[in-house]
Amino acid sequence: MAKFVLKRLAMLPLVLAGVTMLLFGLFQTLSPESRASLYIKDPRQLSSLEAVIREHGLRDPFHKQYLRWLRKVARGDLGYSETAKMPVTEAVRAFFPATIELSVLAFIPIMVLGVWLGTLSAVHKDKLVDQLSRFISITGYSLPSFALGLILLMVFYGVLNLFPPGRYSLESDIVVHDAAFNAFTGLILLDSLLNGEWALFVDALRHLVLPAATLTYITMALLVRVTRSSMLEELGKDYVRTARAKGLSEAAVIAHARRNAWIPVITIASILFVQLLGGVLITETVFAYPGIGRWVAQAALQLDVPAVMGVALLTSSLFVLGNLAADILYAVVDPRIRFK
Amino acid sequence: MRRNLAPLVLSLAFAVACGKKEAPAPAAQPGGAHDKTTFVHVTIQDIDSLDPAWAYDTASHAIILNLYEPLVQYRGSSMSELEPLISEKVPSVANGLVSADGRSYSFPIRKGVKFHQGGEVTPEDVRYSLMRFMLYDRNGGPSSLLLEPVTGLASTRDEAGKLIEDVYDKVAAAVTVDGDKVVLKLSKPFAPILTVLASWAPVVSKAYGASVGAWDGSKETWKKHNNPQKTSEGFHSRPDGTGPFMLERWDSKTKEIIMTRFAGYWREPAKLKRVVVKGVDEFQTRKLMLAAGDADSIYADSLAKPLLESIDGVEVIDDLPRIDMNPTIFFVFKIDVQGNPNVGSGKLDGEGIPSDFFSDKDLRLGFAHAFDAEGFIKDVNRGKGTRASGFIPAGLPGHNPSQPNYPFDLQKAEQYFRKAHGGKAWEKGFKFTIAYNSGNQPREVIANMLKRAVESINPKFQIDTRAIQWSTFLDQSNSSKLPMFILGWAPDYPDAHNFAFPFMHSSAKYPQLQHYKNAEADALINSAMREIDPAKREKLYKRVQAIAYEDCPTIFILNAVRYRTQRKWVKGFEYNAVWPDSPYMSPFYTVWKE
Repeated sequence: MAKFVLKRLAMLPLVLAGVTMLLFGLFQTLSPESRASLYIKDPRQLSSLEAVIREHGLRDPFHKQYLRWLRKVARGDLGYSETAKMPVTEAVRAFFPATIELSVLAFIPIMVLGVWLGTLSAVHKDKLVDQLSRFISITGYSLPSFALGLILLMVFYGVLNLFPPGRYSLESDIVVHDAAFNAFTGLILLDSLLNGEWALFVDALRHLVLPAATLTYITMALLVRVTRSSMLEELGKDYVRTARAKGLSEAAVIAHARRNAWIPVITIASILFVQLLGGVLITETVFAYPGIGRWVAQAALQLDVPAVMGVALLTSSLFVLGNLAADILYAVVDPRIRFK
Repeated sequence: MRRNLAPLVLSLAFAVACGKKEAPAPAAQPGGAHDKTTFVHVTIQDIDSLDPAWAYDTASHAIILNLYEPLVQYRGSSMSELEPLISEKVPSVANGLVSADGRSYSFPIRKGVKFHQGGEVTPEDVRYSLMRFMLYDRNGGPSSLLLEPVTGLASTRDEAGKLIEDVYDKVAAAVTVDGDKVVLKLSKPFAPILTVLASWAPVVSKAYGASVGAWDGSKETWKKHNNPQKTSEGFHSRPDGTGPFMLERWDSKTKEIIMTRFAGYWREPAKLKRVVVKGVDEFQTRKLMLAAGDADSIYADSLAKPLLESIDGVEVIDDLPRIDMNPTIFFVFKIDVQGNPNVGSGKLDGEGIPSDFFSDKDLRLGFAHAFDAEGFIKDVNRGKGTRASGFIPAGLPGHNPSQPNYPFDLQKAEQYFRKAHGGKAWEKGFKFTIAYNSGNQPREVIANMLKRAVESINPKFQIDTRAIQWSTFLDQSNSSKLPMFILGWAPDYPDAHNFAFPFMHSSAKYPQLQHYKNAEADALINSAMREIDPAKREKLYKRVQAIAYEDCPTIFILNAVRYRTQRKWVKGFEYNAVWPDSPYMSPFYTVWKE
């Protein structure tokens, strides 16, 4: 198993090199003048644009520029984001924890409900439960996230005043910025627990419920459908018929089949999780949630190239790591993969 | 089956547990929006800078005037009556503080006024503040408001951008300390000078400034601090004023600024303990925050009014007359095309526009006739306000209702477009981006109205519209990167000069970033500024407005009225049309919650 993981990890730098080369190549399609604007912090520098191009070697051959850029990235220098008014690395550190929290909190119900509904749907194929599951999946898949987000906000905040937008309330804002509060991780849920601030924990959780629910509803549809089809395939196989013939309980049969149906589910789940981590811009905008999605959406609108590049690099890395995690999970779920 | 329902039950239980009413009630929490001593305003704009010498946008200025104090201020809603602030008296000829020739103003400086970071205001601090405001003079900044009447110069730099050597001496000679008084001498009589000082050049601490990298007040060093970069001096983000509120935190990440009551304030402390101004781009979210009481007031444009009127506990204060010129459409005569994604190819080849695209008058007139201003007022502005007939709004001397404007006429627009750039624009077509600040719906509508109308005239005409975050929008417009943009002008002080100069004088903010210059307009504005006879001034401004109509550097749309939305528990709001970002923002000193 260790050898398997090591082999996969060894692939990681190669894959990242490919991804960064592709990203950098895309960036190179812009003119040297456009790329020079990255280095300009003051409009007055525009008069010396040619000097900026020379200073940063923006007309150098691709490989020279790529290696220079790679060295900078390795040092953690991703440039300056005009949208966030801070260096990109600092902005990622500032915005990413909020997105991690939201993604994790959404991903748990996505997995639990997605797999449960998918299994239920397969076991009760063409029954009422299956139809209901299909209805949930179709509406989830086709409903725009901003529409669902606004509806949830209107009902659960506007009418019931249960779950407010934002990351936490103003009351909590005082606690978070108090000198006695230690921001160990930047994850408010975790930091509040580590600081023993229960009220803050509950408050932050209340703010996460609606964006997490929105993401759950629109994201789990795919998982439900994949789980269903994978389960149907397994349930139709000979070993299931044999197990049933031998009198194994239906619950035990489903448990066996479900384990074998995990492979496609893991693939989809890892992609979904990385997509969530990459920022969910519409959900974050509707709920005024200060995550990476809202920032990168503004950055993209304002052609803040360093920010877009930085986030693209982050999401590509996450995607690679997500795939690695999925590969490891395949081996955990199916021991035959280890031996292959 | 019962076991299968467990995840659903658990999820629901989780949701209910998190949202149950037994969770700490917001109303009971100090510092929150429901706390009667905390005021929350939710808007779309973010802050550009907190440096009084840099900030020249309404969002920043409105915050600055709560943190800092000028020498005098407007009395309540009046635009002409002033009351003393850092100065113990409002200078007048009657009280002997204004010289008979109208050129010398004496300000007896109030004693016992403390800065937030410690120390008391001295006349030297006031002198430093006035001088710094003038000598800082960043490109497109507010310095000329004072520099011009004091020295007769609109800028500290000549047209080539070179520093004018004797500027420092002129400024130093014009601002002097005489015992407990600060004396300000003008180059020529300028009647609105006190209204300029009611909003601008608030008092900053000289010692604190020097300690945070700002100018130290000496002749030897001022040049280094002339036209600096935005963040190079500590005043940008670490203010030290004397105002009723002090900065607690400015978080550009969440677009949130928090001010707390200054306990050492020289008057009665403010009734509010805390003021929070936060940015939320999505209107529905702002509306829900207002409805839930998590916001005490919000920014909302004319389209949103019907949606706000029926909310319980919310009041809409309508028909507040404005003397601003907002929105307006600006053409940039010399666009910076290098590395600029807003101009496509940067050439007149159908895939972009060249730097001098809008220097062609026919092209500008084509756009002017392609915009349906009346339709905008009727449909977008709910019929509120009247069509602007020039840059001086209704209600100010100099406004000329008989000045013609450009009727919406697509045939006429086509005639102009056909002539533009010797027919090449029509033949090749063009492609560029119109920008507006994100969240501002009326400006978004204007951009799209123009896009649709112009694109319908010739299929080779392509226009993209783009929303840009406020502070970045300002940066890009200041650097002439936006070929055409939609912005507005709120007055610095209520006088025709404050519209003629920024819109038409080649040394001023907009013409500078538009690269527009009309020598006759410059001369007329200079004359009008020095003219004491109101009738003669009015005549001069009428001619400048006629030039604006002929040259069409800018499209003026609306004499506006606006409305304010707030919770009914908000009391003490004072509407003054001159206040920055009014009626959404106001001096928070007078505000409280019932």
